[in-house]
Amino acid sequence: MPSLFTFADRPSYSPTSARSRRALAAAIAFGVTVTACAPDEPVMPELSFEEALQEQLITAQPGDVIEIPAGVHEMTRSLSLNAPGVTIRGQGIDVSVLSFKNQIQGAEGLLVNADDFALEDLAIEDTVGDALKINESENVIVRNVRTEWTGGPLTTNGAYGIYPVQSKNILIDGAVAIGASDAGIYVGQSTQIIVRNSRAEYNVAGIEIENSTFADVYNNVATNNTGGILVFDLPNLPVQGGRNTRVFDNEVVSNNVDNFAPEGNIVGTVPAGTGMMVLANDSIEIFGNRFADNQTTSVMVVSYLINGLPLDDPNYDPFPEAIYIHDNNFESGGENPDFEALAMLSEATGQPVPHVVWGGAIMPDADGNPSKTASDILCLGEGGMTFSNLDAMNGFAAPSFDLSPHLCEQPRLQEIILPNDLAGAE
Amino acid sequence: MTGIKALLGITLLAGLAACGDSTPNFVADARPARLSEWGLFELSADRLAPLPALEVVRPANPLFTDYAHKLRTLWIPDGTQATLVNNEINYPVGTILSKTFYYPSDADGNVVKVVDNGAREIDLGAARLIETRVLVKQSGGWDALPYVWNDDETEAFLRVAGASRSLSMVDAAQPDAPATQFAYFVPNENQCSGCHTTEHPDGGMHPLGAIASQLTASAHDAAGEFRPQVDTLVARGWLDTAPTGPALASFEDLSLGLETRALAYLNMQCGHCHNPKGAADTSGLVLTGKHATRVSTGVCKPPVAAGGGAGDLQYGIVPGDPDASILHYRLASTKPDEMMPELGRSLVHAEGVALVREWIGSLSGACGAEPPLSSAAD
Repeated sequence: MPSLFTFADRPSYSPTSARSRRALAAAIAFGVTVTACAPDEPVMPELSFEEALQEQLITAQPGDVIEIPAGVHEMTRSLSLNAPGVTIRGQGIDVSVLSFKNQIQGAEGLLVNADDFALEDLAIEDTVGDALKINESENVIVRNVRTEWTGGPLTTNGAYGIYPVQSKNILIDGAVAIGASDAGIYVGQSTQIIVRNSRAEYNVAGIEIENSTFADVYNNVATNNTGGILVFDLPNLPVQGGRNTRVFDNEVVSNNVDNFAPEGNIVGTVPAGTGMMVLANDSIEIFGNRFADNQTTSVMVVSYLINGLPLDDPNYDPFPEAIYIHDNNFESGGENPDFEALAMLSEATGQPVPHVVWGGAIMPDADGNPSKTASDILCLGEGGMTFSNLDAMNGFAAPSFDLSPHLCEQPRLQEIILPNDLAGAE
Repeated sequence: MTGIKALLGITLLAGLAACGDSTPNFVADARPARLSEWGLFELSADRLAPLPALEVVRPANPLFTDYAHKLRTLWIPDGTQATLVNNEINYPVGTILSKTFYYPSDADGNVVKVVDNGAREIDLGAARLIETRVLVKQSGGWDALPYVWNDDETEAFLRVAGASRSLSMVDAAQPDAPATQFAYFVPNENQCSGCHTTEHPDGGMHPLGAIASQLTASAHDAAGEFRPQVDTLVARGWLDTAPTGPALASFEDLSLGLETRALAYLNMQCGHCHNPKGAADTSGLVLTGKHATRVSTGVCKPPVAAGGGAGDLQYGIVPGDPDASILHYRLASTKPDEMMPELGRSLVHAEGVALVREWIGSLSGACGAEPPLSSAAD
């Protein structure tokens, strides 16, 4: 019976094949039925490099190392990894390139939902959306990885370069992130985080720690972004209450690129020329950094309320508290602020915007009075910088330049030590 | 580079066993390279038909997949039975679900956009086969296997990395309109779990269509009787007890109110990720119709990590103003980094977008002011 059912001469699919098929069906008048046991079985299709790589990622077992050879490898669809314990390793940050410039499907370049994951020594370029998204994963290493949009800072670039979210024990070391229309290195809703020895350039936000706890951000260079380093806490998210982040020994220099984020995104509100911004986070320690030529201001500490966005979240604390800024090197900056209230301030004083500006909002108590003192909110150590309390909640009516209420210390925060960081801290 | 894993070896035995059998082949933990090895269908030159032993099922509220038609089958091994646990169907090991995606086709090789009336077999003379997804209950849980049909429509091969097909679609309702070219994407196995794992990251995969609320909907059984599909399963002895409760609301059910239909649509298309434990909980947007707060429904909710998907808009839903609503923008987009759902479509589901548009337009209220902290340079 199967011999009647030889498809060797059956046409490939073509504009006429439906007709041909009908003709063939008529020719086999008795409606031969098989459950597909033809002896000359149809041939398995060949896989492209891209398909073979994705197949490897799907079938990987714990302990596998998937090697990406040297060269530029064109990808048309998102890659994804769900298997734990896998390392993806190229031959160098500029040697092994996964190029998505012809991507036609998927919102990311590489999407990872996998514990004990490492990505090393390769680049992900020109994805339509995020370059590397790591969702709900534990023990993550991203080392010597570059994410880049090669056309420069464009609104049409993808949102995030390196984007771990709702993850734990995250080490980002020696990364390079260029051209993200939101944040180059963005760690969201996560805990136990190190971002070090990395470079973020030509992103809207260079490095952003958002709705996260226990992070160390050090020995990085953030330059030519709209804002260099952001530490944010936002409402209406399943993980919030961002706190305990140390930002130290970074070079935060010349972050003056015009904001090119698509509208509607929160980083779209960051003024060009922002060295660092702390929004609504608590227990942040900023020390040993060099701030230079950030032309709005070096460090801005603000509440969520400054955005004027509607707030419908009883569990959310919009006010920053216990911010400790000490022993930094503040150089030039604040000379061309991209923020109207600061421009007016600068014009009124004839001076650049101070190195550190604070919105001035403090959580009110039941009677509407401030529930905390200025030194509970922001300590500037022994000073050594210029400062302004912007009085933002009163429409910037009476800004103050007196840093004496802030000549205080906060408890030093603990170093972050990750179980998956075999090299350890410096 | 490590070698590509040999997926194929373990399954040869199953394939041989398929010939002439009247029931499918379940082999524990097998991942056959060829769809035929499951023995689910009778294939001839002019038709693809499920074995008579299979039950053809149809969910109340289906997912949109680029207007593809879907032939869905269910098979439970002889001597086993699904049980109702917490009013949900708990399928026994060996259960095989299949879903064949195909399009009606015309004489010029175009695929045709036309309403899917739920054919119980596929006339290959007037259709083009694309893929058959198999969801099989193993002892460790559900396993998803995407099979892609060859051009000759003689076999479908396991493609764990998915595939794509360039298609040209004409609209039966607009015969004079030009054809639409698009790429149909067969998901890879990880993408399968993107929808079928509704509790991220540790929940297992499970069916979305062959569940109690979906199969409580009535359909014609093999004998032509129109009745709740769960009753058919009970009558066959495949299910111990019929679930209680109503069938899932369908966005296509015009007897329902506008909001009910819109929320049913969003629940089905979006809720598998946008639920409090889903992969998209990072966004804080919940589209299951069960909401803790108004803002979590998207009303006046600023985007979190939408990037260009925000479409230069401020809020998920602006009551009364669909054109200012990110939700509408993303449903109406076909850009891979902007569109929602992220998977399962290359085309806009015009009827679904129209429904959501009408619903947003019917909402009353307004969102807050422009943020004052905006760039002076703007």
